[in-house]
Amino acid sequence: MSDITNIPITTDRFDAIIVGAGPAGLSAACTLADGGARVAVIERGDWPGSKNMMGGLVFSQPTAQVAPEFWKKAPLERHITRREMWLTTGESVVRAAYESTDFGAEPYNSFSVFRSRFDKWLAGEARAKGAIIITETLVEDLLMEGDRVVGVRTGRPEGDLEADVVILCEGVNPFLAEKAGLSKGVKPESLALAVKEVLALPREKLEDRFNLDEGNGAAYEVIGEITGGIPGTGFIYTNRDTVSIGVGVILKDMVDQTAEAYALLERFKAQPQVQRLIHGASPREYAAHLIPEGGYRGMPRLHGNGVLIAGDAAGMVNAVFTEGANLALLSGKMAAETVLRAMECGSFEAITLDHYRQQLEKSIIMKDLKTFQDVTPFLSSHPHFFTMYPELASAAVKELLTVDSLSKADKMHLIIKLVRSQRPARKLMKDLYDGWRTFS
Amino acid sequence: MSDDRRNRLPSDDRDWTPSKLSVTDKLGLTKFKPDAEPHLSVKDKEVCQATCRRKYCTHTCPAQVYRWEEEEESISIAYEGCLECGTCRSGGCPYDNIEMSYPRGGYGVQYRFG
Repeated sequence: MSDITNIPITTDRFDAIIVGAGPAGLSAACTLADGGARVAVIERGDWPGSKNMMGGLVFSQPTAQVAPEFWKKAPLERHITRREMWLTTGESVVRAAYESTDFGAEPYNSFSVFRSRFDKWLAGEARAKGAIIITETLVEDLLMEGDRVVGVRTGRPEGDLEADVVILCEGVNPFLAEKAGLSKGVKPESLALAVKEVLALPREKLEDRFNLDEGNGAAYEVIGEITGGIPGTGFIYTNRDTVSIGVGVILKDMVDQTAEAYALLERFKAQPQVQRLIHGASPREYAAHLIPEGGYRGMPRLHGNGVLIAGDAAGMVNAVFTEGANLALLSGKMAAETVLRAMECGSFEAITLDHYRQQLEKSIIMKDLKTFQDVTPFLSSHPHFFTMYPELASAAVKELLTVDSLSKADKMHLIIKLVRSQRPARKLMKDLYDGWRTFS
Repeated sequence: MSDDRRNRLPSDDRDWTPSKLSVTDKLGLTKFKPDAEPHLSVKDKEVCQATCRRKYCTHTCPAQVYRWEEEEESISIAYEGCLECGTCRSGGCPYDNIEMSYPRGGYGVQYRFG
């Protein structure tokens, strides 16, 4: 099944050990191996990718920084040429869509992918560059000398491995970052729980239903009644001959309301406009994953003596634009560049590794995370953004489009009255102002 | 307990009307390589019995791993179907009463799509 050699653990010493073969870890591995470092990636799954899950889209530009022209060789599903945003009420949908032929030509903008296949491929690239990929191996603890990380303890017999530096790319559950004292754990208000199904549809049927030219793909984000008043979104991505459909909700609010993520997904699938797209499709896989949506404020300390953190483990997700994997790729690359620089200096002290944080601060990652740092708490405290506003939008459009005996002026008047009855002008202005402040 | 909950494999000639897809059906689609030893446990049974009235984990776990057994007055754990998302350790149990680790290397969920 796996094309990755499962190299038995020896007492070899590495320049760097990376925990986790996801986008962050594999990006770091490619960069380090390119720089001539002796690097091992330790992955608990049977193959790199077997534990990984996302929506999911990969974005071309950041991915190409790690794997140039990856679209010529990586296992991709479809290049996305149309993105849609839906506001739903249960019966109705108000949609905004953007479509471009630009997105259908090299270098493309984004692709739908399956992590399990894509990461297996990316691991192959890292291995070809000289990285050692060790699978089926769980890192249980960090080896410490005082406050310095000097290696990892794996679940294998005599499974201690030493290295000058360890890069934690362990994903959203930061078991090791907590042990290293860098993370205090992730709070449910900073997490979204996403559940997803992969549904099989014959290629022609899929392209007909989604109104796509051959090979092109569409990605839909859906807000409204489907999450039952809990802040969150639904999503639909087209793959080659499957559709990925899922729902993500803020964990804290889901727990408080004892809502069930799978029930929300069923409700989403049952919405008539969604049902029309997926009707008769047979399910192939069910998956669940947490997304760290704490943004800038939710981030752990990013480095210590002999240790760095990248990707989901570092909380690097832009929840507004559903970007995570690209931030993981970029942060993994930056962590690796810092390690290469540290190897030149011969120092792996926190003060040397601080270069990573400085580079991140200058990068698109921190700029975006800072811009949207208040979004998740804002949405939790404004649940009506997910219920009332989609309903008002739907009611307003319906009123304007329904031809009856009312004049258009009367209709505008009616709409304003309706909005005011739901949300007094003062509160409406405050929502607009707060929203604008939070999202810009 | 876990056998009849997990081993019902769906077939393609079934009625896949969405509302009929139970969590058991969903988990039947996903591939697992279960470890012999559980990686999930309840820290203190009394918290489940006396403090937790809503049995949160039975709702919050996306794989319905946790079930309240009335007769035994305890939570049963079908860890074999765990999707390893981490919900139970990060607020899915508001009393922080579930101990979660990852299964040993090579065991647990194996996403073919992911």
